[in-house]
Amino acid sequence: MVRAQEAVPAGAVRAVVIGVGNCYRRDDGVGPAAAAEIERQHLPGVRVVISDGEPAGLLEAWAGMDLAIVVDAVRCVPATPGRMHRWPDGQLEGGWTASSHGLGVPAALALARALDRCPRRVVLFGVEAADLRPGAGLSPAVATSLPDVVAAIATELRGAKVPPGRSVRP
Amino acid sequence: MSHTSRNLVVSGLARVEGEGALRVTVRDGQVERAELNIYEPPRFFEAFLRGRSYTEPPDITSRICGICPVAYQTSACNAIEQACGAKLDPPLAELRRLLYCGEWISSHALHIYLLHAPDFLGYPDAIALAREHRDIVERGLALKKAGNSVMEFLGGRAIHPVNMRVGGFYRVPSPSEFAPLADQLRRALELALDTARWVATFDFPDLELRHDLLALHDPVRYPIESGTLATTGGLAFTPAEFPRHVTEQQVPHSTALHATLDGHHYLTGPLARYSLNSSFLSPAARQAAADAGLGPQCRNPFRSVVVRAVEIICAVEEALRIIDGYHRPDRPAVEVTPGAGTGHGVSEAPRGLLYHRYELDGDGLIRSAAIVPPTSQNLAVIEDDLRRVITANLDLDDASLTALCERAIRNHDPCISCAAHFLTLSVHRR
Repeated sequence: MVRAQEAVPAGAVRAVVIGVGNCYRRDDGVGPAAAAEIERQHLPGVRVVISDGEPAGLLEAWAGMDLAIVVDAVRCVPATPGRMHRWPDGQLEGGWTASSHGLGVPAALALARALDRCPRRVVLFGVEAADLRPGAGLSPAVATSLPDVVAAIATELRGAKVPPGRSVRP
Repeated sequence: MSHTSRNLVVSGLARVEGEGALRVTVRDGQVERAELNIYEPPRFFEAFLRGRSYTEPPDITSRICGICPVAYQTSACNAIEQACGAKLDPPLAELRRLLYCGEWISSHALHIYLLHAPDFLGYPDAIALAREHRDIVERGLALKKAGNSVMEFLGGRAIHPVNMRVGGFYRVPSPSEFAPLADQLRRALELALDTARWVATFDFPDLELRHDLLALHDPVRYPIESGTLATTGGLAFTPAEFPRHVTEQQVPHSTALHATLDGHHYLTGPLARYSLNSSFLSPAARQAAADAGLGPQCRNPFRSVVVRAVEIICAVEEALRIIDGYHRPDRPAVEVTPGAGTGHGVSEAPRGLLYHRYELDGDGLIRSAAIVPPTSQNLAVIEDDLRRVITANLDLDDASLTALCERAIRNHDPCISCAAHFLTLSVHRR
């Protein structure tokens, strides 16, 4: 799901929301589900991408963006299913994702840094998963938290500022 | 426990698609066991498909694997079309091959540059490789992007393409729409040739596979999206005969099934494809293989990186050939009338043969489904490889031996995410 870039109004940033995961792995689908909700809001200047976490695709999705918001399921022991975590500036070490897609988001970020393909700012949202077995549909706890996750992403997008010295394309 | 016992545990097998677990036990200088534990075959999807319409498997099964969705879509379509007695118009079959070329380019480029090459160059991962050889990794990403572009153009998107359907496509492009893609692929051909020259300079440990190799065979071209089956042992059979020759068994250490071919272990994938079909490579690919020192067959798993590079060249050339000869098909899809019956579909996923079987009722609803992914076919041979690699390198320290085991697994590009998630690697020396 990639939506064409819309005209960016003055004062807005160019941002991408990347939902990472697999909707056939129950709560691993929370990232794509949140991204789909953001897409329905038709926020100007915001691109929405669904990703399986494959690193080259992530590099493509966020390169050149002012802001990249990545949302994925996380596995925690012990878990509080549905609890949301936010890592500003993408400062997170490896091993956080519940998904099993090649290198993982932290490694993809490190690769992007080595190749100068980072967005100006990265914010990672993780949602603690209850159930990562095969199957469609989120667990009740994660489904209940989904509106809060979407609201947090929308707030992040609204609060994003144009970096100093950067002119925004009309 | 003897005085020679050693215990080594490594958590996490990096740079393998998906996650699983490897357990190796060495006792008194002998490899007692080498087991790759895979936790989950695609049985969920097989159960999920029962009762669904004959039109649905391409979209549902493509979700099994994010790395090779076109393979799943193609094998599913091939099986259902066979069950319904439908045959694609030749231009539609060519477009399906073109889409599949995109997946080969993308998947092989990812594996060579981000997963496999660091093993040969002494880097812990692609990030370290990128820090010192940015241009090389950029080349790999550009090549991968060309493959993704094919999938986006023809499939609608690179991940889980949506334009393929039973009988063909939802929409077919006009010839003029191909121009930018053709330009990108012409540039990609140069990158692919550079890739083959580059990987040919790697050092390859000695290891010779003795197993039977199984791949598709096509009488006139390198097999990708369809074909009959052939082995290096001289066996030849049709997709419908696959269940008669290939059976899956439960093994105690894994919930994944291990496949055997007429009772013995066998390997699918690049080595098998190349060894059975190298004379059908496209011209530049055949030349690149010769220049890289490959003979008519390749049985060293470490050299699979060279075969993948050669296959990228072949896929790019094939894609350009198909685009050059393209005329817009009269219709985007052939009519597929469902009827009671069973269909068998095969295709060559980047990492090996992918078999689908569907049994339909008279209304076109699925009564049963079976999927045999390449990784479950290759598991037993990967374990055999590990046993031999360990036996030949027992003098190495634990860290070096573990690294070599990981390399031996990565040689086969196992898509464990087809079959399982969450990998832990442990090596025990007793």
